Amino acid sequence: MVRLQPDPFLNELTNMFERTTEKGSVWVTLKHSSDKSKVQRNKMKTAGEKIEYRCLIRATDGRKTISTVVGAKDHQRFQSSYATILKARMTALKKRERKDKRKAADSDKKLDSKKRSSAAKKTSN
Amino acid sequence: MVYIASWDDFVEKSVQLFRADPEKTRYVMKYRHCDGKLVLKVTDDKECIKFKTDQAQDAKKMEKLNNVFFTLMARGPEADISEVGGKEQAEAQPAKKGRGRKQ
Repeated sequence: MVRLQPDPFLNELTNMFERTTEKGSVWVTLKHSSDKSKVQRNKMKTAGEKIEYRCLIRATDGRKTISTVVGAKDHQRFQSSYATILKARMTALKKRERKDKRKAADSDKKLDSKKRSSAAKKTSN
Repeated sequence: MVYIASWDDFVEKSVQLFRADPEKTRYVMKYRHCDGKLVLKVTDDKECIKFKTDQAQDAKKMEKLNNVFFTLMARGPEADISEVGGKEQAEAQPAKKGRGRKQ
């Protein structure tokens, strides 16, 4: 488990996506964490110290694992860079086939309107 | 493993899970480019909810959920999310006024 700074982490994450294009997966885990052990946290609680929480982000491609912590101040910058990487890399997902859906929707609407008009005629009679 | 069909349900339950136990809840994303599949999981090690998709439009929705989780996890479970994207839009709209016709 390699702990990196946010920017090198993002670079390494991009590399992971590149490596797994033909085969393999990328896992990214987000967790709310203080980055301290339970013993330390209990001690801090009893001492009345405020525990600082951050967002822990881990990424793995099944072989190598990298991680980083992001605090409240830099999380917005990190999340926009992260979103950019995902948008650029997640290109294998299916785009919506609008033409097929429109045709299906149109044919459904025609059937529905026919049913409704015939139902209306029946109720009016 | 509970797969949830509705995106909005998944989002609501995952935020609930996190707010109930911020110490243990984690949000996991798995992407397989070779299969074109995306799976999201939120668990507190007692309950687990998942969402799977192969649609590009869900990746856009996931982006918003990512922002929500980043905000919650970096700032704390009490953080105000109020649809993170909505705030930015509200701020950007008033700035569009005035195209410089006053000459």
